[in-house]
Amino acid sequence: MKFQIEDVTVYFPYDHIYPEQYSYMIELKRALDAKGHCLLEMPTGTGKTIALLSLITSYSLFKPESPIKLIYCTRTVHEMEKTLAELKLLHKYQKEHLGAQARILAIGLSSRKNLCVNPRVVAAENRDSVDAACRKLTASWVRAMAAENPNVPTCEYFEDYERAGGEALLPPGVYTLQDLRAFGREKGWCPYFLARRMVQFANVIVYSYQYLLDPKVAGIISKELPKESVVVFDEAHNIDNVCIEALSVSVRRQTLEGATRNLNRISQEIDRFKATDAGRLRAEYNRLIEGLALRGNLPTTDIWLANPALPDDILKEAVPGNIRRAEHFLHVLRRLVQYLRGRLETENVEKESPVGFLVSINNHAGIDQKTLKFCYDRLHSLMLTLEITDTDEFLHIQTICDFATLIGTYARGFSIIIEPFDERMPHIPDPVLQLCCHDASLAIKPVFDRFQSVVITSGTLSPIDLYPRLLNFHPVVSRSFTMSLTRDCICPMVLTRGSDQLPVSTKFDMRSDPGVVRNYGKLLLELVSVVPDGIVCFFVSYSYMDGIINAWNDHGILKDIMQHKLVFIETQDVVETTLALDNYRRACDCGRGAVFFSVARGKVAEGIDFDRHYGRLVIMFGVPFQYTLSKILLARLEYLRDNFQIKEGDFLTFDALRQAAQCVGRVIRSKADYGMMIFADKRYIFPNSFSITLTSKILNSLIKG
Amino acid sequence: MNNGADKRLNRRAEEDEDDEDDGDGLEAWERTYADERSWESLQEDELGFLRPIDNKAIYHAQYRRRLRSLSSSAAATRIQKGLIRYLYIVIDLSRAAAETDFRPNRMVVVAKHVEAFIREFFDQNPLSQIGLVTIKDGVAHCLTDLGGTPEAHIKALMGKLECSGDSSLQNALDLVHGYLNQIPSYGHREVLILYSALSTCDPGDIMETVQKCKKSKIRCSVIGLAAEMFICKHLCQETGGMYSVALDEAHFKELILEHAPPPPAIAEFAIANLIKMGFPQRAAEGSISICSCHKEAKVGAGYTCPRCKARVCELPTECRICGLTLVSSPHLARSYHHLFPIPPFDEVPLSRPNDPNQKAKRNCFGCQSLLSPGNKPGLSVACPKCQQHFCLDCDIYIHESLHNCPGCESLRNSKSVIANET
Repeated sequence: MKFQIEDVTVYFPYDHIYPEQYSYMIELKRALDAKGHCLLEMPTGTGKTIALLSLITSYSLFKPESPIKLIYCTRTVHEMEKTLAELKLLHKYQKEHLGAQARILAIGLSSRKNLCVNPRVVAAENRDSVDAACRKLTASWVRAMAAENPNVPTCEYFEDYERAGGEALLPPGVYTLQDLRAFGREKGWCPYFLARRMVQFANVIVYSYQYLLDPKVAGIISKELPKESVVVFDEAHNIDNVCIEALSVSVRRQTLEGATRNLNRISQEIDRFKATDAGRLRAEYNRLIEGLALRGNLPTTDIWLANPALPDDILKEAVPGNIRRAEHFLHVLRRLVQYLRGRLETENVEKESPVGFLVSINNHAGIDQKTLKFCYDRLHSLMLTLEITDTDEFLHIQTICDFATLIGTYARGFSIIIEPFDERMPHIPDPVLQLCCHDASLAIKPVFDRFQSVVITSGTLSPIDLYPRLLNFHPVVSRSFTMSLTRDCICPMVLTRGSDQLPVSTKFDMRSDPGVVRNYGKLLLELVSVVPDGIVCFFVSYSYMDGIINAWNDHGILKDIMQHKLVFIETQDVVETTLALDNYRRACDCGRGAVFFSVARGKVAEGIDFDRHYGRLVIMFGVPFQYTLSKILLARLEYLRDNFQIKEGDFLTFDALRQAAQCVGRVIRSKADYGMMIFADKRYIFPNSFSITLTSKILNSLIKG
Repeated sequence: MNNGADKRLNRRAEEDEDDEDDGDGLEAWERTYADERSWESLQEDELGFLRPIDNKAIYHAQYRRRLRSLSSSAAATRIQKGLIRYLYIVIDLSRAAAETDFRPNRMVVVAKHVEAFIREFFDQNPLSQIGLVTIKDGVAHCLTDLGGTPEAHIKALMGKLECSGDSSLQNALDLVHGYLNQIPSYGHREVLILYSALSTCDPGDIMETVQKCKKSKIRCSVIGLAAEMFICKHLCQETGGMYSVALDEAHFKELILEHAPPPPAIAEFAIANLIKMGFPQRAAEGSISICSCHKEAKVGAGYTCPRCKARVCELPTECRICGLTLVSSPHLARSYHHLFPIPPFDEVPLSRPNDPNQKAKRNCFGCQSLLSPGNKPGLSVACPKCQQHFCLDCDIYIHESLHNCPGCESLRNSKSVIANET
């Protein structure tokens, strides 16, 4: 259907539009008009993605003189494919109505693992080894060698792509990753490099968060994307955590050992080069004097992704003299690794600010802040010079350099925490040194500064006023929409007492109470006998889940449950969990019925959908608070309180509720679906312990019910 | 701070109480009383008397909606109907059938309505046969073989009412598949499953069984008594059956009776072919012969197979001796109306009571009662062919039981009389 929103004609590929989609589009349009950032909340299953896509593409059709680019960030490859499929439908519709005028180029961009078509490369098991295998075939020196010696293997797809040169372009259209691979195979061009080149021509780019937020990979965009872009973060309720993870590094013993091995290997390489090709090292030295920014004239395949989180002056500045020579740089790194090893040998938990840590490094290892700042780039320059292609082997030393650069760059918003053992298992020594970022705004700041409009959207963003504070930006629009339901397809409930009128809770002092355990068991037992097909249960932690399942087993409750439904349990092992999920689905399909025990904040709670008969009921046992004794969390809470005036309790509650909403939201993925949600904890009802209320769809219907 | 929290607590408590008063706190007997809303079916007339509301119009509207949906689907593409049906009714007698959400329990309710269904079924499909299967303790048992006598089935069912153990959809389907696979191709193979349980404990892969049923063109329908299950939905979708879940007893009755009229024929079987049938004569009163179905000597009141002269007790059936299908001609005739249904009657607009055309037809053509009793204009309908007017009761009677329009029939008679005269 075709309709007007203010002055823009919107092309919408379906015959019907929900009222909330329409108002979503209006708000989005206003944000685009104002060229500002916006924050929009709309429940899943209401067609958020298509509303976004059709408004933004229509908007850019409406203003052909200044076309805006859409950068759509998703969390997973699966979501990426879904988005592109929707876009394809929309594009088809627009073409029918507008003809050639509606031509757009939309591509998905992912890692080599998802895009490579060379069977020898893609056979490698993980992302890093695929990258390394690709580099082995496509690095400039390898190709130079191959030119002389035809026995050196190269990638025929890449060679063809290079030969085609400027001719290698994608015709307009919408390309999913699958389409890109098919196109690459047909033409004999490498889809990965083709897609990377097309990023600058494309109207719509769909890729993962990391390409914008992680400074290690974000360099790919920092050069090529214009300011007139609209950046969309979909499913962004956890965006602060993604930002924080992107800037956090943890160093363990294994990392240091691996780094030492890497350093030895590098020093061997240096010796070899000195003997054979001393000129190369010399040339690098000269280049470094001129500054890191001048690396731009290297061939494309050799470019390391630059670090946009670094201030600009660093990129232009010359590398400090003491690490320009390869041997000297190696010495610095050795000293750094040695120092870190010393710090790990501690008996107590230590917490330090980056400034204190820098002073201590300077005193003990004699490395100053400026040197540290350059470590990451210097290492990559060195590895290029040494023609190292198996980069996956060198992850450890890269981690160390990453750490060094971050600590050299930021003085605020971080802290260093050294823990000699895991809090929960105090007998097993497992020292870990963590550089944790507390300020989510650091990683996302370049994005806000750089682009005209940033849209942050998700099914649950409540309370919506907290996000601008956490991410430190000023949205021009922040709105939350509720789902219009034609029938009661969800039935949320808060359960505070068990069948014997005892209150139930997973509060620390109550959780091991046999009464609570029994009540939870009885609740589940009664529900399995009346709910068809699949039931999903979320517990607050793995240890609690193990405990309660053991207790149920002892009481015979588990056996009774098994009479009605099969029981599957999520474990920390990914393979085991995948297998359990697979069997769970089969049990639901064939009518046997099944219960899946899972953990809030686990892999299942975040990424797996339990739609239709796979989840007719979801029970949240307890409130999924974070582990409040964790040092990292405490440090972050303190930082939030001092810098953003967010109370600890508020943040913890907000975080727990957003997790709970996320968990129960797994069962409803569309309006045609139906399901029941139970929050089993007395703390869900008392407003004094929850100063922030769940203003999401769930609580709205709670009040009504 | 503390005060505020307390206040909030209090308010919450009050709200809770209010909620209870709102309706959830009703006792069960109060609720049934409230649900029925018996006071609403009364209204005051102009003299101040309480009178029951005229529900007839409402019922009639519902009935017409049903009729229209039926006829629209039938009229759209002159659907061929499967008149010779071989239906197995699978009754789930697992543990779940003892649940008391239907009063007194699911099992009794199911049995009661199956009895009604069997009678209705044979009334509408005189050429068809039914068999009963029960699931108990995870095993399916055949209660009665395919047969055309309602009484035998009902007797067998009522004698076997007890439930225990798990339920297995696959076992039931396998068993039924084994029986139905031998049915000649002109017959329609159908299964109606009345499922109480919420899960099925199967020995193997039920998906294979579903595909097997689909291959053998067995139309599987399920009526659930608890909640929608994916596997049942899948089964019905694959085999072209209907899936429904009963909300309460009345709904269940409605759902099960929907299966009584013959379903549209499956396209692959829609080729017309000839079936050999025998029309046995009723044996003379007082003659003694050995009955081939009960294997004992019986006096009178039986039928004799025209081919092998064996005696059978009931029609329709298959001769035990020579295998001929035995029917009586009224059976065939009664099946006829499914193919040529009477068109739904048009509603006559209420206005214009003074219209001379209207005036002529003040009585129902069927029962001769006044169409507008008193001076109140009543609803009436007219046959689109003969333009005769009927009252609402006659409308329902003509469409659901009589299957002939008296107006059209009399028209035909008078025409033939006129033709004879000239």
